[in-house]
Amino acid sequence: MGAVLQATGLLVGYFRAPVCGEVSVTVHQGEVLGVVGVNGAGKSTVVRTLAGRQPALAGDVLVQGLPAVPDAVMFRRQVSAIFDDDVFFPALTVREHLLLVARGHSLDSPDERVEAELEFFGLQERADVVPESLSSGQRRRLLLAAGLIRPSSLLILDEPEQRLDPVMRDALAQRIRDHAEAGAAVVLVTHDPRLLVQTASTCLVIDDVVEQLDPDRGAAIIAGS
Amino acid sequence: MSSSNSTLTGELRSLPAPEALRLRPAAGADADGALATARAVVAFTRTSSRRYNRARTSVGGLFVDIYSNALALACVLAIAGSFVVALRDEIARRDPTQGGLADTQWHILPAELMWFLLTYLALAGLLTVARRLGPASVSSSEGSWWLPLPVDRRPMVLPGTVRLILGMGLASAVAYLPFSFLTELGRSGTAHLLASATFGLTAVIAVGGAAVLQLRARPTRGERVWPVLTLLPLAVLPSLAAAVWPLALAGVTSLVVLAYVLPRVGSVAGHELIRGGGVSGHAGASVFLLDVNELRRALAPDPRLKASQRARKLYARPTRSPLTALVRADIVSFLRLQRGLAGPLLWIGACIALVLADAALPALVQLLVITIAGCVTAGSMGVVAQRTALVPDLDSMLPVSSWAVMLSRMLMPAAVMSLWMAAVTGMLVIVGAGGPALILLGAVAGLGMGAGSVRAATKPPTDWTAPAAETPFGPVPRAQIAALIRGLDVTVLSMVPVLLALYIGDVYPWLVGVQAAISVGIVLIQMAAKPSSQSGA
Repeated sequence: MGAVLQATGLLVGYFRAPVCGEVSVTVHQGEVLGVVGVNGAGKSTVVRTLAGRQPALAGDVLVQGLPAVPDAVMFRRQVSAIFDDDVFFPALTVREHLLLVARGHSLDSPDERVEAELEFFGLQERADVVPESLSSGQRRRLLLAAGLIRPSSLLILDEPEQRLDPVMRDALAQRIRDHAEAGAAVVLVTHDPRLLVQTASTCLVIDDVVEQLDPDRGAAIIAGS
Repeated sequence: MSSSNSTLTGELRSLPAPEALRLRPAAGADADGALATARAVVAFTRTSSRRYNRARTSVGGLFVDIYSNALALACVLAIAGSFVVALRDEIARRDPTQGGLADTQWHILPAELMWFLLTYLALAGLLTVARRLGPASVSSSEGSWWLPLPVDRRPMVLPGTVRLILGMGLASAVAYLPFSFLTELGRSGTAHLLASATFGLTAVIAVGGAAVLQLRARPTRGERVWPVLTLLPLAVLPSLAAAVWPLALAGVTSLVVLAYVLPRVGSVAGHELIRGGGVSGHAGASVFLLDVNELRRALAPDPRLKASQRARKLYARPTRSPLTALVRADIVSFLRLQRGLAGPLLWIGACIALVLADAALPALVQLLVITIAGCVTAGSMGVVAQRTALVPDLDSMLPVSSWAVMLSRMLMPAAVMSLWMAAVTGMLVIVGAGGPALILLGAVAGLGMGAGSVRAATKPPTDWTAPAAETPFGPVPRAQIAALIRGLDVTVLSMVPVLLALYIGDVYPWLVGVQAAISVGIVLIQMAAKPSSQSGA
């Protein structure tokens, strides 16, 4: 399996001040990297930098061997990143938001793909309303559906379990595993030990010194924190 | 929802096979990455949004919107037009031997030079504002849903950029028309129109220059300065309206700028597009709600995420009481948040330049400009009060009374405005507009103006649900107007004795007494205002 994501000597932070230790990690096709740490440890800063949304203080990030440049078309085609950006078009329905992503990524049979995602995320009955009228959890499902409907070689998820009920979390874990088995690399920031154990093949603990552990140890750290 | 959850595991099997790596360009797209798809994405979003909006808008409602907006615009144009014509008559009737506010021997600045400087400052201001607004930008929803798509971004960014550039050009041309009427009395109607069109085109160049700056990820200081310098020769063009070539030159230059910028707007960095969209949305909403405080926040430079070291030593010193701690925090916040002296100094320069102009403008016009300068400068001093008003609980954290909080908040704005007014009146004294007592009068007026800036910064949001008061002239939205002018009212009031002294050319002792009473009264009124009632500012 080839390396999809390579971070070497990566320092992340603000105003030249790193928020955590140096990160060096490689994620291969089919792997799920869990990222854990206490609040303020710098998990989101690390994944935002991996997703090219924030410049690195030092070090390199390569996606499929190419530098992470978020404005490059190739990077956008490769990387699907889901953060907690609760922003929607005010006059587009749930279905139309998903169609927008499906068409933007030139999926075959976009309508069928959208219907399948709506069904999976339990949004069928709310498919023709605008996101403003959805509950907080349903909006989260819509964001996840938008991130998962499209193809990607690197999937980055920042605390995807937030606002999801336990059944949906389990279903999401299965989707993440399926995505990895189909050949993608996945980076998953989570505070949910169960989701971590269900999905991750390895675990990165963010702190002053960044360590790579097995998921069970990572889950224990989450439970302890 | 629960039923759908219970069958989720089964539904997993019904999903199409995972296709994580099925990465390819769109069918029918061009070689380099699906330009056609980008257009399709934009068209799909627009069509769907239009369909949704049409379903919720009645023809009657649309007619009322168009009718009321057209009526309001016509009223504004009629009022502004009659004011400009009256002012033009006043200027035409003025006696050139009269000196305005200053002695005639001080009329050393050719009027043409002053109009040129004003035109240049207007263009530089346009460039600065355009740079804050984008000009290339996307809304927050477009940023979240369009920008991550693997398509060329130009079709997504181009229409909005063109709209903004041309819109600002058109608005500038319309705004220049009264300026041309007032400053060039001998021009024909056609020449006024030519001058206004020329200014509109130079405005297009200024806004286009802002777009050029956006193309660079991190423009250097030199790259930021050259568009401002380029505007210098362009600012001469509107004053040469008797000929057609200035219009042609401005037109050709604006076309060159647009031809350079527009094909490249798709390469503006995503974070820059989102930033511009955020500022545009914030500023647009502030104008719609007539909220000056929000407009200031929208157009202010991006806040520093890391506090500057300014006043660090002052803050580090131990304090003896909660009030001292509060005063020190307010002083340090003011010193860190107040951005430079350029604005206040520029307004002093404008006041003095106007007084030195040959031939002098009517004294009332000069006083009007001084009043505007005072209000704008005072308005920019309430930055700490604006920020703290967003979090009213902040002021209740220390065991000090609300009047002490207000006094502490007013301290720096009052001190700075007092200095500013002393500087303005000092300059006016030098050019013979009054005796040295005018400086004292100005310094005392500054105290009230500083209090006015805090009053404006902490005004509650306008209550648009308040009923309009019936008057013989029709319904007047009294409550709304009171909210809109809060702060401005006492700032102008505080300046009245100074303006009076300037008009009569002397400072009587009773005038100083009145000035002191007004300033102290305003400070006391503001001290009595409760911080907790100002949460919405």
